[in-house]
Amino acid sequence: MSSTAQPIDVAAGDSDNIVNIDVSMLFPDYREPWNAGQPSGGSGTGFMIGKNRFLTNAHVVSHATRIVIRTQNDPAPHPARIVFIAHDCDLAIVEAINGNDFAKLRTLQIGGIPKLNTEVSVIGYPIGGERISVTRGVVSRIDFRPYSHTGVDSHLAIQIDAAINPGNSGGPVLQDGKVVGVAFQGYSGRVAQNVGYMIPTPVIKRFLKDIEDGHYDHYVDLAISSFPIENPAQIKALKLQGDGVGVIVADVEPAGSVSDKLHSGDVLLSIDGNPVYNNGLVRVDGELMDMNEVVERKFAGDTVKIQYQRDGKRAENTVTLKRFAPYLTLGEQYNQRPRYVMYAGLVFQPMDKNLMDAHQIRDATVSYWFDNFLSQKLYKDRPEVVILTNVLPDDVNSYIQGSFPAIVDEINGVKIKALADVQDALKKQGDNPDFIMIKLLEKGRPLVLKRSLAAEAQPRIMTNYHIEEDSYLGHE
Amino acid sequence: MKAFYSVLALLCLASLPLPARAEPKAPLFPEAAPSPARTVHSDSVLKVNVTYQGYSAHLPWQKEAPGARRGLGVVLANDRVLVTGQMVANATYIELELPESGQKMPAKVVGVDYEANLALLETAAFGERAKSFFAGLKPMQIEAKAHTGDNLSIWQTGRVGELIVTLLRVSKVMTSQYVLPGSNFLVYEGQGIVRTEGNSFTLPVVKNGKLAGLLLRYDSKNQLTTVLPGVIIEHFLKDMADGKNGGFPSLGIEVQATLDDQFRAYLGLKPGQGGMYISSVVKGGTADAVGMKKEDILLSINGFNIDSRGDYEDPDFGRLSLSHIVRGRAYVGDEVKMRVLREGKEVELKGRLTRKNPKDYTVWPYLFDRGPNYVVEGGLVFQELTKPYLQAFGEDANATLLRLSHLAEHPEEYEKQGRTKLVFLSAVLPTPGTQGYERLGGLLVKSVNGKAINDISDLDKAFKQPQDGIHTVEFEDMPKKIYLDAFAVEKDNMALLKGAYRVGSLKRIE
Repeated sequence: MSSTAQPIDVAAGDSDNIVNIDVSMLFPDYREPWNAGQPSGGSGTGFMIGKNRFLTNAHVVSHATRIVIRTQNDPAPHPARIVFIAHDCDLAIVEAINGNDFAKLRTLQIGGIPKLNTEVSVIGYPIGGERISVTRGVVSRIDFRPYSHTGVDSHLAIQIDAAINPGNSGGPVLQDGKVVGVAFQGYSGRVAQNVGYMIPTPVIKRFLKDIEDGHYDHYVDLAISSFPIENPAQIKALKLQGDGVGVIVADVEPAGSVSDKLHSGDVLLSIDGNPVYNNGLVRVDGELMDMNEVVERKFAGDTVKIQYQRDGKRAENTVTLKRFAPYLTLGEQYNQRPRYVMYAGLVFQPMDKNLMDAHQIRDATVSYWFDNFLSQKLYKDRPEVVILTNVLPDDVNSYIQGSFPAIVDEINGVKIKALADVQDALKKQGDNPDFIMIKLLEKGRPLVLKRSLAAEAQPRIMTNYHIEEDSYLGHE
Repeated sequence: MKAFYSVLALLCLASLPLPARAEPKAPLFPEAAPSPARTVHSDSVLKVNVTYQGYSAHLPWQKEAPGARRGLGVVLANDRVLVTGQMVANATYIELELPESGQKMPAKVVGVDYEANLALLETAAFGERAKSFFAGLKPMQIEAKAHTGDNLSIWQTGRVGELIVTLLRVSKVMTSQYVLPGSNFLVYEGQGIVRTEGNSFTLPVVKNGKLAGLLLRYDSKNQLTTVLPGVIIEHFLKDMADGKNGGFPSLGIEVQATLDDQFRAYLGLKPGQGGMYISSVVKGGTADAVGMKKEDILLSINGFNIDSRGDYEDPDFGRLSLSHIVRGRAYVGDEVKMRVLREGKEVELKGRLTRKNPKDYTVWPYLFDRGPNYVVEGGLVFQELTKPYLQAFGEDANATLLRLSHLAEHPEEYEKQGRTKLVFLSAVLPTPGTQGYERLGGLLVKSVNGKAINDISDLDKAFKQPQDGIHTVEFEDMPKKIYLDAFAVEKDNMALLKGAYRVGSLKRIE
């Protein structure tokens, strides 16, 4: 009988170190950003990996206002707090506020990468009951997959056919008594059957190592796009050796790690000594994998050696890896109070995925800017795109109520590149000091407000619409 | 479901026994009703049947499946027939049909204006056949004036050519978009129910026996009828007659209302002063040529004062949008005088009215009766960007489509580089020489073999000069550069002409 099939004696405390995490949440309101938001709740699973340290998923504890840990054999609820949270790989560490609460529990050991077709058990607190649950299956596939928590991050993920249901998130997947993954996402039964995913140990270990210095420094990225070499004409034109090595660097992000080292049109030959093949795959530890998986294992500030060919000549360079910030705009963001500025009824908010989803924006200009923010390098021109998302009707704005949504181009002659620019620009005296002049991108006419009327209207609008703060700019 | 129940009902009725009673003395069939007065028909209306075929947007050497349009044409002087532009767009074969006798005759387009949605036909046959066809037909006069409250008649023909008349009371006279975007012209609007008959296009609208307009569209949900009025038809016919085919002039401006009192104060407009804010001036249009600038306030055109909504008082039709001054009341080449307010001072602008030819736009606004310009090299399909290409995508708004649509709306950056057209790689036919490039598409071309590409003939010429047996194609976006073996391209071109794709012709540059 495999160790995965060994009985778990709950009364004996076998599963005490796998805990239920009960979370009260407050979902932010991106449509009325001055409001507190929508209360909600949820629960997931976590497990002990160190003294008073429980590993779970970031999505279990996102937007938490109160966290409570419960174990199978202890009736008391234990208040807890987040110690570290990593949205880019959906992991988080929580601890009990009273450090002694769990002094007697054993830590779970972290194992390696299980082989295909070996058995695993998923333990946790999914729907279908209140007590601890066990499901069992095999390792089905090991692959580079998108993590749905942000939607824009992809890492190694292991697919298993053990049932992973709502509530299992954050729970351990065990093989031979060791943790081989954290259950975190799956397909609904209507789409695919028996397809669940767990975060594998390399991602877990990288997270734990990253936080050793007391803060989480996020994943790093080369921030390039590659194009495969399949056509003989490419080999001839690029003067390559035709030995199957080399991938074309099609695009280099100006805000990325290699922006000053590689150019579009270069052929990347090797990374950290590993040859890169014509299809963009690299052989690491005997296995062929995506180039990204090499960089995946690195930390902020790490260096990699790259070999490349440019104009027929080979060269080498060392790259210092950093996080590519602009991509965050396109993914779900959490634990952030929505930022905004409200003046004379006009509501200004920074463009990001949370905003686009909440407002269901369909405007052609705004959609173009959002969808092409990275691919057309629009972030260079405007690192933070400010959108006029609403005009709260009042006498002062009665003729401009239809002008949203729109991208704010300039206010009183000042080009708007971030939300922080807005308030100063509104105060600035433009070419006509009695008026505030707002230019919108690709829209017919500028919005004009008489300064004195706008100033009068502001307190009236704040009272009428129950807006306590005229702005929230986040922590500077 | 409904059909099932009605059949069931019939069956039930059939099985009910008739009640027994005495036979009435009255005859089984009542006396025949008096014959109706002679069936109303018209000698000025005939049927027009069109077979049309558009070109495929994705495989531009191919035509789509043929379709059919059935409508009515109005007989005009010189054996000419008037229909709408929508009838004849992309026509492959046009046929005239006499409503009563059913006699048919092939026809051809003499002139068409797609912006004004009007077309003139004449017979494609000669001699006796044509003469006898038109022998019984009478040309109709045009009625260029109608007002709110007028009673008009919409004509349709029935199975044997009899006229079906629907009354229409004009409830509004205003300007509205015809068919193509940006084509704003005068219309009459009225309420009523129009039957669906065999002919769905081009119904004549008649006032006192004269042609007052053609049916532009009918909204059955709201029972709203929109009519293309006689004054526009008259303008079109005059334009055709002088042989210049200038078309309808346009100013080439975008305007914004000045009702907002704070905006008015900012612009320095006095209370009660009218005018429209010029938010954009189309490069190469009439307004551009006479020196109009963005941010000017348009006060009057040809002596007509413009109010803050963009309306003026038309002597024939009352309060109308300013577009009719230029579109309806004037011809290409006429003098135009405009007064604008610029930095607090009134400025007079003078010049001649022009119309920008669709082929002079950077992105073709529409394309009828011809296929798009394209070049196929080795399997790479290059085309000039057109609005019809973007419309062919339908509702699939992916990032590529958004990017190309944005490009089509804002080509200024590329126009500054010297581009007269936007040449792009639309698709890649899988051939031995395009291995690795099959999924590429929607990419604007920057250069070919080092030569900048400003239009499709630049691309055609540049492909004649590979370097060291390699073609290099550079794009504005990823993957930026691709390479093709020149010899493989030649081989693939031959295979495409004769093989699986039967391309027919590797290029169209017109």
